[in-house]
Formats: sequence, C-alpha cells, structure tokens
Amino acid sequence: MIWLVMVLTGLINFIFRISMFSGFRNIQVPPSFHRYVNYIPTSILSAIIASSLVTYNGHEISYDVGKLVATLIAVACALLTKSVSATLIVGLVTVWLI
Amino acid sequence: MNRTEFFLGVSAMLPLLLGVVPFGLVFGVLGISSGLTKTETILMSSIIFAGASQVIFAQLWAAGSTYFVIGSSVALINLRHVLYSASVAEYLKKLSFKWRIILGYLLTDEAFAVSIKRLSAYGESKPVHFFMLGSGLTLWLAWQISTILGVIAGSTIPENWELSFAIPLTFIAIVVPLLKNTPTIICALTSGIIAIFGQSLPWNTWIIVAALGGIFIGASIEKWNPRK
Repeated sequence: MIWLVMVLTGLINFIFRISMFSGFRNIQVPPSFHRYVNYIPTSILSAIIASSLVTYNGHEISYDVGKLVATLIAVACALLTKSVSATLIVGLVTVWLI
Repeated sequence: MNRTEFFLGVSAMLPLLLGVVPFGLVFGVLGISSGLTKTETILMSSIIFAGASQVIFAQLWAAGSTYFVIGSSVALINLRHVLYSASVAEYLKKLSFKWRIILGYLLTDEAFAVSIKRLSAYGESKPVHFFMLGSGLTLWLAWQISTILGVIAGSTIPENWELSFAIPLTFIAIVVPLLKNTPTIICALTSGIIAIFGQSLPWNTWIIVAALGGIFIGASIEKWNPRK
C-alpha cells in the first residue's frame, strides 16, 4: 500500500511542477493564489515544529525543557547564520549537553 | 549537449548543497526510524523528490494517518511548485515534450532559485535549458546520495542520540529566515498553536487544520494591511 500512496504523491508533485508548461493546457494563476501560496511552507513547517516540541492529550500540555532551550538556541543560530548545517549541529549538541 | 550551460548550472547549484545534504541525511535517518524499509526510504527520494514532503510523508505514515491526510498535506506543501512552474513556463514552453518532462521532474526550490536569474537574463539568447538540467541533476544526485548515507547512518546510530530532534531543527533552519514580516510571523504562531492543541483531533487532521489556519490568517492580514 505504501508504494501506491508514494507513487500517487510523487505524481501529484510532478503534475504541480510541470503544470504551467505541460503543453496540454494554458492555465493562468489567479493573483490571490500567490498570496495564499506564500504562507504555505511557513504554516505547515511551523505546525510540525510546534507539535514535535509540545504535546497535548486533551487535558494537559507536556514538553521537554531541554528541547525547548535547544530550540531557542537553534532559532538564534538560524537567524544569525541562515545555515541548515549550523542550526542542526548547534541544536543537537545543545540537546545532548542538557 | 551544451556543456558550457550545463556546467554553469552544476556550479551554480554547488553552494546550495550545503543546505541540501544535511536535510537528505536527516530524511534518510528519519525514514528508517519511522519504520520504512531501506528500499522504501531510498526510492522515496526519487519518486517524491521533495524534502519537506518526504519528511511529512514519513512522519504521518509512522503515525498511522489516513492516506487522505498524507496526500493532502504533501499536496499542500508542494503547491508552491505551481508558482515556480508558472515563472519558468515562458522559457520552457518551446522545448520538446521529453525536455519538459525532465525539467518538470527536476523543478525544486533550489533548482528554481538558481535557474530563474539565468532564464530571465539569457532565456532568449542561450540554451538555458541545459543550465536547468545541470543544476537540477546536481541537486538530484546530491539528494539521492545523502538519503542513502542517512539510511546507512539511521540503521547504525543508537536511538538515545535524539536524532528525531533533527526534524524540527531542519524546519527551524528553513522557517526562521522566512519570518521577515508581521503576517508571516502571525501565520507561524497561529499554525503552531493550532497544531499543539489540535493534536488530539482524529486521523492526524491537525496538520491540515493548523496549516490552513496559518495560511488564512497570514494572507488575510496581508490583504488588510498591504504595507506589511
């Protein structure tokens, strides 16, 4: 089953990528589409970041203080360096040390 | 084959691999720890060929999400490729179908970022599709190799190394530089808060609810306050 889901997902990706120069249809993107699409990566990735740091079971919130501290340090590192490698290393080392 | 354009594309992509290779490693490790087989993890990098999508796919698959949630989350995160596709379309429309399929498959954030300048400057005078091919293939190869290395590492690194924490860290490295204006910051906060409190929603639908909430808030604030 995973293969079917994976191939269909890959196909959706491919269709998006080729959509505007496939040669089959001349599609125009409405201007408001830009406004929404610009927020998609920030929104989804923030949802994943938040849910992997703080969990909520319907009654109480739980989190790991060490990871929250490491997150703050990683945010500072990302602001300063804009580097994936540096942010990864600084964040992981902080969580190991704490 | 235009070697000049091809290798210009290759060398334009090389600096960006610094961000791509660690991400590929992280995905390889995550694939294994999510319970995917080595083959599934490695082939996902060529079937889906999109970093954040593959991570979301693996996480949601491991959490036992419905196929609908997996499919729509991945589709949502990839919708931005339609914009890239629109930006490069005028330069690629005249190419053969075979070229369009190959360059479509290779169109990623990084390939778009390095190609669009070349296309808009030399789109009419030079065979810039070789530039896109060079940059796209370089990224593709780096992504495959780093996934394989990640899979090898994921099968050997002990669990107490907290490598699952590498996922939020990688996403932090991507999102933080995007938080340049108020609507984007509010979008991130809204989505994060909905994600935390929505986690008990059935079928992992929190990811869609949180994403749509953040997008709607961000776009609405931008519309009401065009100064940003």
